[in-house]
Amino acid sequence: MLEIKNLHVSVGGKEILKGLNLSIAAGQVHAIMGPNGSGKSTLSYVLAGRAGYDVNQGSITYNGEDLAALPPEARAAKGVFLAMQYPVEIPGVTTMMFLKSALNAQRRSRGESELDAIGVLKTVRRKAAALNVSEDMLKRALNVGFSGGEKKRLEILQMSLFEPKLAILDETDSGLDIDALKLVAEGVNALRDPSRAMLVITHYQRLLDYIVPDRIHVLAGGRIVAEGGKELALELEAKGYDQIVKDAA
Amino acid sequence: MKTASALALTPARWEQAASHFRSAGVPTRRVEDWKYSDLAKALGDTALSEATASWKLGKLPAGVEMFDLAEANAPDWVKTHLGSLKETTLSAASLAFADGGVALRVTGAVETPLTLEFSGKGNLRALIVLEKNAALTLVENLSGSEQRNVGVEIILGANAQLHHVRLAPAAAGAIQIEEVAMTVARDAVYTAHYASFGGKLSRLELDIALEGANAQAHLSGVSVLHGDSHADITTRLSHAVGNTQSTQLFKKVAGGKSRAVYQGKVTVTQGANGSDSRQTAKALLLGNQAEADLKPELEIFADDVKCAHGAAVGDLDADSLFYLRARGIPESDARDLLIHAFLEDAMAGIARDDLRDQVRTAVNEALAS
Amino acid sequence: MSSAAIETKETVAALGEKYKYGFVTDIEMTRAPRGLSEDTVRYISAAKNEPDWMLEWRLAAYRRWVQMKEPNWARVHYPKIDYQNAYYYAAPKNTPLKQSLDEVDPKLLETYNKLGIPLNEQMALAGVAVDAVFDSVSVATTFKAKLNEAGVIFCPFSEAVRDHPELVKKYLGTVVPVTDNYFATLNSAVFSDGTFVYVPKGVRCPMELSTYFRINASETGQFERTLIVADEGSYVSYLEGCTAPKRDENQLHAAVVELVTLEAAEIKYSTVQNWYPGDENGLGGIYNFVTKRGDCRGDRSKISWTQVETGSAITWKYPSCILRGDDSVGEFYSIAIANHYQQADTGTKMIHLGKNTRSRIISKGISAGKAQNTYRGLVSVHAKAENARNFTQCDSLLMGGNCGAHTVPYIESRNSSARIEHEATTSKIAEDQLFYCQARGLGAEEAVALIVNGFCKEVLQQLPMEFAVEAQKLVGISLEGSVG
Repeated sequence: MLEIKNLHVSVGGKEILKGLNLSIAAGQVHAIMGPNGSGKSTLSYVLAGRAGYDVNQGSITYNGEDLAALPPEARAAKGVFLAMQYPVEIPGVTTMMFLKSALNAQRRSRGESELDAIGVLKTVRRKAAALNVSEDMLKRALNVGFSGGEKKRLEILQMSLFEPKLAILDETDSGLDIDALKLVAEGVNALRDPSRAMLVITHYQRLLDYIVPDRIHVLAGGRIVAEGGKELALELEAKGYDQIVKDAA
Repeated sequence: MKTASALALTPARWEQAASHFRSAGVPTRRVEDWKYSDLAKALGDTALSEATASWKLGKLPAGVEMFDLAEANAPDWVKTHLGSLKETTLSAASLAFADGGVALRVTGAVETPLTLEFSGKGNLRALIVLEKNAALTLVENLSGSEQRNVGVEIILGANAQLHHVRLAPAAAGAIQIEEVAMTVARDAVYTAHYASFGGKLSRLELDIALEGANAQAHLSGVSVLHGDSHADITTRLSHAVGNTQSTQLFKKVAGGKSRAVYQGKVTVTQGANGSDSRQTAKALLLGNQAEADLKPELEIFADDVKCAHGAAVGDLDADSLFYLRARGIPESDARDLLIHAFLEDAMAGIARDDLRDQVRTAVNEALAS
Repeated sequence: MSSAAIETKETVAALGEKYKYGFVTDIEMTRAPRGLSEDTVRYISAAKNEPDWMLEWRLAAYRRWVQMKEPNWARVHYPKIDYQNAYYYAAPKNTPLKQSLDEVDPKLLETYNKLGIPLNEQMALAGVAVDAVFDSVSVATTFKAKLNEAGVIFCPFSEAVRDHPELVKKYLGTVVPVTDNYFATLNSAVFSDGTFVYVPKGVRCPMELSTYFRINASETGQFERTLIVADEGSYVSYLEGCTAPKRDENQLHAAVVELVTLEAAEIKYSTVQNWYPGDENGLGGIYNFVTKRGDCRGDRSKISWTQVETGSAITWKYPSCILRGDDSVGEFYSIAIANHYQQADTGTKMIHLGKNTRSRIISKGISAGKAQNTYRGLVSVHAKAENARNFTQCDSLLMGGNCGAHTVPYIESRNSSARIEHEATTSKIAEDQLFYCQARGLGAEEAVALIVNGFCKEVLQQLPMEFAVEAQKLVGISLEGSVG
């Protein structure tokens, strides 16, 4: 589904990704682990199409299409979803209103019929309950005054609502305690599907106890330096990034 | 040339107003207060009209007494209060030139909103008195694009409550000025929302004096401007005694070649300890031909006070824009959403849902155009 | 004539023009006649041996000045200044020197002691006889050698007019035009002296330049004129003023400071001003009307103003930056303290013209006694100033209920990608903060000084080390008598 070849990305004139290669098939869960500054967030932003992240070389192919050529909203409509590490607060836009606008914008883009307010409400309520997202949170302004855990749960609610084909979770575990983490992981696992691919980006091995990956890639210095099965996570935990990077060199 | 007034003023008082305007003349941008709204330039060769404009009142609810200022034999409450509050050059002009206007006196707590419409060319006066414990919701509508100068005086008695919503639709080529002078007695509350959509030169000037303990004034406003529009909101809020509160929240969106102006001066008198004043003015510029001028001013003479203000001019937040687009919302829709969101909290101050919807509709229409 | 007398005369003659007219300094001959006219201007120019072009420049300014009207929009009130009732030029070198510290106002000495100023400096500042200043002269000489090595020109303005006319002509009046405002025009006609600095391309000035090291540092300039030019890629940090209260007969001080930074250059200009503020009853005191402006002409250049204003009866100054070059940066950090009957109306103007320009304004105002303190600032973004960024924070601290703190910001934007943010707060020192300090053993005034220093910290941190320590002490001293 996703084919990244020799990707070079620079941010503010500085090259962060230096020839990254990655391949993910539908139905798979891949994890990207790496030390701080390795380029994990850069990867997630460039996949979602954020301005300021320039592709200098290489390609990103999504279901045979050149992803880099599409604006962010088009990527979303085609099933790319980025659960952000720091979800933005938007005062003046209620969560419910935002969900409806986004959902219908995507449906419109795909030539599907739009859902009416009642329809969206019902769907959202159902999914919200499973993730412990309260009615109050839905009525309030998007992410305003939400705790870290609440913001992350709302990201997963959106993932559940938009039913993406490629879900990228950028450090979804950061700032969460065990209970919050479990809840988020449950939500993610509930969305596993043969037609869906997930890219879980994390610094710590802990999340991968709950969202067990099929393959782990270690990102360091803007490149994938090591790959392996889920055991690699434990190896990283034991040896640390420095050692693994050294071993691979 | 006028030499006397049809209004219930003593000849001396009339003369005072007439000579005030005659000697000061129409303000140019060299007058500090009119720095961003050059009235003389906007008028050009046309003089300030000496005619009298028109007004129309909606159905008068119980508890509200009305007097037509064009009539003779004004009741005492009109004679006492008309022309009694702080005067500016333009309000002196309206007092000197207007031959009519409306006076309202509220004695009870009135539930049904009262609508007041101003139209036509020329000057007008309005006097609104709320006696002790009275309450009123006033919906003010402006119509037409003629030159107009309206002088309003509002007196809030102890524990009175006035909720004021003013809708000034876009009036291309219009020069429309309204000066409101107000005193707020102890425990009284003035809450207001002003929606201005601009004109050739449109200015709302408020001079509010909080004169009794626990007196409050909460002002909010939105402005959406296009083309050559100009909208100026200038407020002077004085905490004359302690333990008074005021808040101001103004949001402006200026597109095309328009100019959005906000000048908000808050004064805390010596000894007015316990005064609490907050002020926020924010503007969004769409395109590089629009201009926003913000001047939130503080003049503080007492130390045991809480006074703060904030002002910002900028573009839409890039992170928010990306977030919305990354969730599938096309760029122009995302921008619209954020612009609406930007104006939303300034409309929160409108107490009644129906009025808030009215303002929101006007805002949506203005943004769509 | 006795041999002793001959020897004395020769010694005196060797000292040059300093004692040109003999032991008795004839007051009429060392001052321009009272009043201000074209003749006064000529007198000044002649006394300084200026070339014709400089005289012409002054005369043009004077002719302009007589047509102008004094401004009255600042929130300061002062008795009308009689411009004719003043001496516009007093040859500084002939100012009678005191023979010892005993002749100096004890209150002044008390302040110097509190500030920890060494004895030598005290004497120099108080205008005591030459002997004691010997050390400073030698220090100044070594200092000059270092600068010469680096190619940095640092000299009195009058010297620059003679020795570096091409540089002066190129830059003088290009940042603050002669016609800019009433006081700048006056200054342009009758400026006495000041500083000239030129830093060549790529040079990082090897030390902080301070007016203290100017040979004639102990005199007070009534109409100072300063010009600092930092050529491409250079850096200089300049310290103006001193922490000791300068008493002066001259009531009016109208200085002009012009800064120019070319591409990738940086000027850091710090001022600690403690002119005589007048007594507790508001009598006397200096009127300090200053025009200071920096022009960031080159791309990526930076000008930073840091000021601690504690003196003067009236302060009227708005150090400003014109952000012309793309990616240029302007900063303004200020502490303004007004006590007793002082009036301060100060702030800054940041004019964003180029692309990606940035400005930062941090203003801390403290009012006590019956003083009035106003921040007046302008942030103006022009239509082509893409991505301009400004952040302004103005905080006022009121001490007591008889003073005033005012904030008058003007925010004008004509570019949709620019971002301007302004915040202002007003507060007082909380009772519980004071009590806490006192409960831990601090006296009331010490406690206030501590809290106020905290309030001002962000600005104090911008000052070069040597100034910062003295400035901190000065802040405490300036607020004496404001508590209780």
